[in-house]
Amino acid sequence: MSGIPLPHNLPECFRVEMYNYALNNTSVAIVDVASQRVLNSFYFSETQPDPPYSLVELANRIAIESPEVEKALGFKPTKEKLLAQYYKTSLNRTRCERSRHLCVAPTFLLGEKTLWAIVDLTDHRLVGVRWITPGKTGPAAPILTERKLQDEKISACFCEQETLLANEGWEMKYMLTSSDGLRISNVMFNGKPVIRNAKLVDWHVNYSGTDGFGYSDAVGCPFFSQAAVIAWDPPVILDLHDESNTKVGFVLEQSFRSEGWPTPCSYNYKQRYEFYKDGRFRVSAASLGRGCSNTATYRPVFRIAFAGESNNFFEWNNNTWNQWQNEKWQLQGATTTYSAEGYQYKVSIPGGGYYLEPGKGQFKDGGRGDYSYVYISKFDKTKDEGESDLVTIGPCCNTDYRQGPEKFIEPQAESIQNASLVLWYVAQLRNDDKPGERILLG
Amino acid sequence: MSRIFFLIIIAVFLLISCKEEEVDFSLNNCKRNPGFIQSMGFNPGKSYLSTSEEKTMGLVLIESEQPGNPHARKVKIAQQPSWRKAGWLAPILLDEKGNIYTAPAPFITVFNNPISNNNTIYKVDNATGEMNEFLRLPFADSINPENPFGIVGMAYLCETHTLYITTVAGSRRYEENGNIYAVNIETGKIIDKMAGVDALGLGITYITGKRELYFGLARSSDIMSVSLNKEGKFSGSPAKSFSLSGLGPRGDDKVRKIRTDQNGNLVIHGMEFNFNLIAPREKQETVYNFFYNIDERKWVLLNKFFYNKSFCSLLQTNDLFVMYTHLLFSRYITALAY
Repeated sequence: MSGIPLPHNLPECFRVEMYNYALNNTSVAIVDVASQRVLNSFYFSETQPDPPYSLVELANRIAIESPEVEKALGFKPTKEKLLAQYYKTSLNRTRCERSRHLCVAPTFLLGEKTLWAIVDLTDHRLVGVRWITPGKTGPAAPILTERKLQDEKISACFCEQETLLANEGWEMKYMLTSSDGLRISNVMFNGKPVIRNAKLVDWHVNYSGTDGFGYSDAVGCPFFSQAAVIAWDPPVILDLHDESNTKVGFVLEQSFRSEGWPTPCSYNYKQRYEFYKDGRFRVSAASLGRGCSNTATYRPVFRIAFAGESNNFFEWNNNTWNQWQNEKWQLQGATTTYSAEGYQYKVSIPGGGYYLEPGKGQFKDGGRGDYSYVYISKFDKTKDEGESDLVTIGPCCNTDYRQGPEKFIEPQAESIQNASLVLWYVAQLRNDDKPGERILLG
Repeated sequence: MSRIFFLIIIAVFLLISCKEEEVDFSLNNCKRNPGFIQSMGFNPGKSYLSTSEEKTMGLVLIESEQPGNPHARKVKIAQQPSWRKAGWLAPILLDEKGNIYTAPAPFITVFNNPISNNNTIYKVDNATGEMNEFLRLPFADSINPENPFGIVGMAYLCETHTLYITTVAGSRRYEENGNIYAVNIETGKIIDKMAGVDALGLGITYITGKRELYFGLARSSDIMSVSLNKEGKFSGSPAKSFSLSGLGPRGDDKVRKIRTDQNGNLVIHGMEFNFNLIAPREKQETVYNFFYNIDERKWVLLNKFFYNKSFCSLLQTNDLFVMYTHLLFSRYITALAY
């Protein structure tokens, strides 16, 4: 809140500006302090007042203390050195249109260039920095916004280039795709190839309350993409701990959000890869809602291409491992049997292999079972069956095995013995809808 | 003597030929409602055409108890089978005979809108209501999956029967491969093309004393203009007229649509656009009204309105209502009023 004296003929009157941080609204009142009356008042939605001195000071301090600003400038700035001369003009108004927060941009001048540091005064954090070279003539620099900063950083750092990751014996590259989420590739453990690549192709969201109504959401990059739900923040790498808080590996995780989340019919998806010190790995995804109703079934479509040219695929049945001879699909159901260790499938890769343990609610992460469709297709170098970025491969609302991957195994199923194989995994997740347990995990 | 006469004739001719053409902005108002609407048993005064029905792909004819109010009860809904064949559609544009021109645009997903079909104009016949392919615009060689869009805007110049189409087909993040085409709808031929420009919404005005096409760029908030000659072809080079940069709640809006109101003002619908398929339910759209300051020869912002609800208000344009809705950037509803 700030009070601004009105012109000299109204010495006892002030214009009072009140900002509602939660709703991003501004209320303005004209008050007569002598008579203690409100003379008039106005209300502006989605509007922010000029920040008072105290908030200007706070924004400057956040910018000065920010490691990103220090890194961009090449030295740690001080208020006296950088802001004194330009203090009155140093605070550019900017927009945090995505978060709808109050933001300003303390601006540092260095030679011919200015460094804008967007500071979020609602969350008290630095949103990002950007160098701008102001021209003496010609068009003004394009306005800098929170969304532009975030999207451009994501695009430049994670959509246009792969990032190398080496941790706990694992090596891989990862990047954000146009519409297949976060892709990992050339994954090796202790120098042995494990996965050629893995990604999240689609999210099929089917609202059972209305026949055939739903969406096929692709997740991916914010610019030039087929993604309906986009990455706002970079991928994060976290330590992975077991129940006794012992570090057992690491996590590579990416969030995708709709603009406006968590308003109705907006989405927030998480894609998560877990890598363990002992060579195990886990591919998972979650929907954090909100969606259009609580009657939805979410079907994430994963594609995992195994390393090597000579894979074989087996299913546990009748107390033994039975090899699949041809491309096929299978539904995990109530009668599905598992090995004593809980495995349903296994795949051989060069120098070893992996067991596949589908979600049955055993992972203690809120999952209640995957009820998954599993498809195995043969990788063919002469055809692109999803190795590059895939368009949406399935409709929102099929409730059977026709989720998209079937088009790679039909109509003629090929032999898959000693072949390079691709696993398609489509979990089926219904809204939990219990308070506090509304997260969907697959 | 004859030589002097000849020179005078030449001078008069030059003076005449240099005189700028004066045109009336009300000329570009020729839209008629399709004839098939009445034959389908719909009350045209209470009906509208929509490509914005959330659960119905394609073009839909709707009779409402209260046209313009999206929450009003829908009395009748009809869709001819051919209206679905192009997937989700984008603009609806009517000509002077009541034919409808439209084009596909993906809605959330490209599943029903293959990229290879995104540069195709469809025509719904005024009499039969049958929708068929009208013209396939040339597709960029660099067709690529990272850009799901093709045709994104349409405008019509009545006096020359010219349809102007913006397409961003084939554009990439660092390659601007879009085009603006001028198509004569009577011949179905492309009569002119502006290459290498990614543009979205476009509109025509005569208020500046010229026949001018305004179009919003897809990669910035700038609005460009280019003169049109008597044949409807582009005349001269496009130039920046004004910008939405810094205006509105986002500050970097792109132009979804440009319309000329009864007073010659430009009504510009601005929204977020980044060549992706995000489709927030509560689409934030801002309508900016610009009037032309004749003395200073520039466009000036008159006012702006924020549309932040699912559905927006009804705007009247002469005998046709155009209602702008939520969802994706290119969905339209055109209401009909006799």
